[in-house]
Amino acid sequence: MCLTAAVALLLVVAGHAAGRRAYDVTPLLFWSGVVLLVVPISLRIGWPGVARGERLFLLFLFAELLLYYKTVYSPTSFIGHDEFLHWVAADDLLTARRLFLSNSLLPIGPTYPALEILTTAIVNLTGLSVFLAGTLLLVILKGTFVVALFLFYEAITGSPRISAIACLAYMGCMTFVIFDSMFSYESLGVVLCMLTFAVEAASRDFDPRARLRALGLIALLLACLAVTHHVTAAFAAFYFAMLAAFEALRRQGASRIGTTLAIILIAALAAALPVLWVMARGNPLSGYLGPAVESGLRALMRKFSGGVTHRPEVSAISQPLGMRLTTAIAVLLLSLGLATGFFRSLALATSSGAPSGWRPIGDILKRRWRDSRIVFLTILAFGFPVSVILRLTQSAWEIANRMATFVFISVGLVVAVSIVHFWQGREARGWRRAGPAVALSIIVMGGITSSAPDPIRGRYKVGADQQSVEAMGIDTARWTNEWLAAGNRFTADRVNRLLLASYGRQDARVRIVAGVDTARLFEAETLDPDILRVLARSDIDFLLVDLRLSTAPPMLGFYFEPWQPAHGKALSGSDLLKFNDIKGVSRIYDNGWIVIYDVRGLHENS
Amino acid sequence: MRIPSQRDLRAALLWALVMLAAVGLSSNVLLRTVLVAPMVFLVSGHAMLRAIGIKTSSLSEHLAYAVGASLVIGIAGGFILNAAGLLTPLGWASWFCAVTVAAALVAGRRSDAPDLPPWPGSVPVRLSQGTAMAAALLLASGAYALAVHDEATYRQFSYTAFWILPPASGGPARMTVGVRSAEANTQRFDLEINLGGQPFAVFHSLTLAPGETWSREIQVPISATSQRADARLYRPDDNRLYRSVSTLVPRRQDEAR
Repeated sequence: MCLTAAVALLLVVAGHAAGRRAYDVTPLLFWSGVVLLVVPISLRIGWPGVARGERLFLLFLFAELLLYYKTVYSPTSFIGHDEFLHWVAADDLLTARRLFLSNSLLPIGPTYPALEILTTAIVNLTGLSVFLAGTLLLVILKGTFVVALFLFYEAITGSPRISAIACLAYMGCMTFVIFDSMFSYESLGVVLCMLTFAVEAASRDFDPRARLRALGLIALLLACLAVTHHVTAAFAAFYFAMLAAFEALRRQGASRIGTTLAIILIAALAAALPVLWVMARGNPLSGYLGPAVESGLRALMRKFSGGVTHRPEVSAISQPLGMRLTTAIAVLLLSLGLATGFFRSLALATSSGAPSGWRPIGDILKRRWRDSRIVFLTILAFGFPVSVILRLTQSAWEIANRMATFVFISVGLVVAVSIVHFWQGREARGWRRAGPAVALSIIVMGGITSSAPDPIRGRYKVGADQQSVEAMGIDTARWTNEWLAAGNRFTADRVNRLLLASYGRQDARVRIVAGVDTARLFEAETLDPDILRVLARSDIDFLLVDLRLSTAPPMLGFYFEPWQPAHGKALSGSDLLKFNDIKGVSRIYDNGWIVIYDVRGLHENS
Repeated sequence: MRIPSQRDLRAALLWALVMLAAVGLSSNVLLRTVLVAPMVFLVSGHAMLRAIGIKTSSLSEHLAYAVGASLVIGIAGGFILNAAGLLTPLGWASWFCAVTVAAALVAGRRSDAPDLPPWPGSVPVRLSQGTAMAAALLLASGAYALAVHDEATYRQFSYTAFWILPPASGGPARMTVGVRSAEANTQRFDLEINLGGQPFAVFHSLTLAPGETWSREIQVPISATSQRADARLYRPDDNRLYRSVSTLVPRRQDEAR
C-alpha cells in the first residue's frame, strides 16, 4: 500500500512537471497518480473486517499523503492567495517581534494571530524558514485533525468502522484537500474545533471530577480557537449551543442534569470567548465577513431570478469534463448516502439503536434519544444540499466553501451509517462489499476534483491566483526588495500585490486611498483627472503593471479583487501603459512584461 | 487507582532542559528542529495533560489531546511573551521549558492522576514489508526532490530586466542603471543614457549570460530644476530598441532635503 502511494506521488509530481511544459501526457500522468493514491487506500479503509488500528493508521497516512499532494504543487514556497497573507503576517511578526501589526492585505488578520504565533515560535526555536516551519505545522495539524475526527465519531457511534468510513466520506469535502490544508488560520481553527468536539464527546460518561478536568481542557481549546479563526469559532459556538438545546429537549438519561449543565457551560464559553475577544480588539468582523455574505446571497438571488452576472463561473470556464463529471457523481453518491442514511443515523441516537424500522423514529419524535450529538449532526446534514446550491455562483461559492468544512462533519456521519447499516448490512458479500468501498473512493476523488479549478501545475494564466504565480513575477518582487529596499508603498494587480508583499517585503496596498480601489486606476482607458489627483495626494510610491493581464481575460473573473466592479471586458496594453506619458511618473523598471512606475514625482506636483 | 509511572514526566523534564540548552547554545538547525518539534507539538502538551489529570482511553486519543494542549501552550505563550517583549528564540525556549517543568512538577505531585493509556503491542514487521516501506519512503522523498528541482529550474518566461533609479534621497548624486538577464542564452546589449534630452553616457557590448546582472552607479550633475534621465537598451544583434526606462533626477533643493 505504501509503495503504491509512493508511486502515485511520483506520478503526481511528474504530472506537474509535464503540466508546466504543456505536454499532452500531463492529464494521464497526474490523474493516474491521483487514482492510484486514492483508490487502494480508500478501498482498504472502507472494507469490512479491517482492524481499528489499521483503519486509523491508514486514515492518518492518507491525510498526510493528501497534504503531500497539495504541497508538491509548489514544493518550495506558499502559493495560495490566503497563504501569502499569513506568510506576510508571519514575516512581519518575526521582524518586529510584536503582535497585532496592521496587515493591509488582510485587515482582520492581526485580530487572529494564533497561526503566526505558532509558526514564528517554530522559526525562532529551530531557525527554519517560515515555509518549512509552516509546513511542519500543517503536517501535525492534518494528522491531528483526522485522528480527532475519528475519535469524535468513535465516541458518539461506538464503532471504529463507522468512524473510519465517516472520516473517509469527510475527505470528499471540497475544502479538505486544499483549503483546510493551506497555511491559513482556518487550518489551525478546524483542528482546535475538532479537538473540542472530540474531548467533549469522550468526556460525556466521565465521573464529575474527570468531566471537570476535561472541561478545563475544552475551555483552553475554545479560548485558543477564539483567537485563531472567526468562522470556526462561530461554528463551535453554534454546535455547542445546539447541543445544549437538544440536551434540554431530550427526555432520557439518568445523568441528564449533570450532562446538560456541562454542555450549557461549554456552550456559554464557546459563545462568550469569541465575542469578548472581538470586543477587546474592536469589531473588524462585520466589515470583513459582511460584504462576502451579502454579495454571495445577492449573486445567488440574481442567479435564480435569471439576472445577468458579469463574471464567469470558475467551474464553468476551466474544469475539464472528466473533473466535473467526477464531482457530479460524488455529489450524487453523497446525496444517495444521505437519503439512505438519514433515518438510520437518527435511529443510532436512540437507546434501542436499531438501524431499521420506525420505532426509533417514534422515539426521536417523543424526544427520547441517548445522544444529542448524533441527532443534531444528522439534522445538520441538511446543510449539504444548501452548500451545493450555493456553489452555483462564484460569490456564493465562497460561503459554500466555508460551510462545507462543517457540514461535512455531519455528512460523513450519515453517509457512514448509510454504508454500514444499509448498503453493506451485517454480512457484506459480493457487490455489497466492494460497491460502497468504490463509492467512497469516488467521493474522495470528488473532494479532489472540487478542491481547485485546475489542480495540475500549468503554464502562467491571467488572474488565476496560484496559477499566476511564476518565476518572473517572483524575481521582480525580489528585485524591488534588493534595489528599492523594503517597505515602499506599492499597488498592483491581485497576484503581483501578494508577490510584492511576500517576496518583496513591500507595503502592498489594495486601495489607493480609503474608498478608491486599485482597479479604478488600472482599468480606465485614460487616466481620469480625479483619479490622478487622488493618486498624487495618496502616499503610494510605485505602481507595478503586469502587461500579461492584457493577454487574456482573468480566469477567476477579476484582475484586482472579487468585490471590485467588473466591466466585462479584458484589459488592453494601452490601458495599462497609460502612465508612460504622465508628468511626474517615471518608468523605472521594465522587463518586457512587467513595468514599475515611480509616482513619487506626482506628490511633489500636487 | 494505580499511581502511574512518572518516567514520562522525568523524560519531559529532561527534554525541556536539553531543548533550552540547544536553543541557547547551538545554531545547528537540524539539531534544534529534532529537539524543538517534539517539545512544541507533544511533550509540553503531554505534561499539561498529566498536570490537569485528563483521562484518555487509547494512545491515539492521548496523542491527539497532547498535540492540542501543546498548541494551546504555544498560542498562550505568544500572547504572554508579546506582553513581556520576549518574542525571541530564548524567550520561546524558556516559555516551553518553564511550562513543561511546571506541569511535570504539578503532575508528579498528583495522587489522583489517571493512568496513562496502554501502549499498543508491537506489530511484527516482516523483512519484505520493511523493505517495501523503506522503498516507499525513498521514492516519496525522491519525488519531492524532483518537484523541488523542477520548480527551481523551470522558467516559462525568458526576459531581460532593465532599470534606472534616481539618486537616493540625501545620498550622493548618483543614479543607478542595471540590466539583469533571465534569457535562455547569452545576450549582447548596447546602453545609452540621455539626461535632460542630451546624450549623457553610452555603454557598448554589454554581454550578459543567463542569470547575470550588470549595474553601474553614475554621477549626475544636479541642477536647479529636476531633469529627466532616459535610458535605452539596444540589442545590436537585431539592431532594435529593446527596453527603455526613465527617472527624475531631483533638483538641488530636493537633493539637499
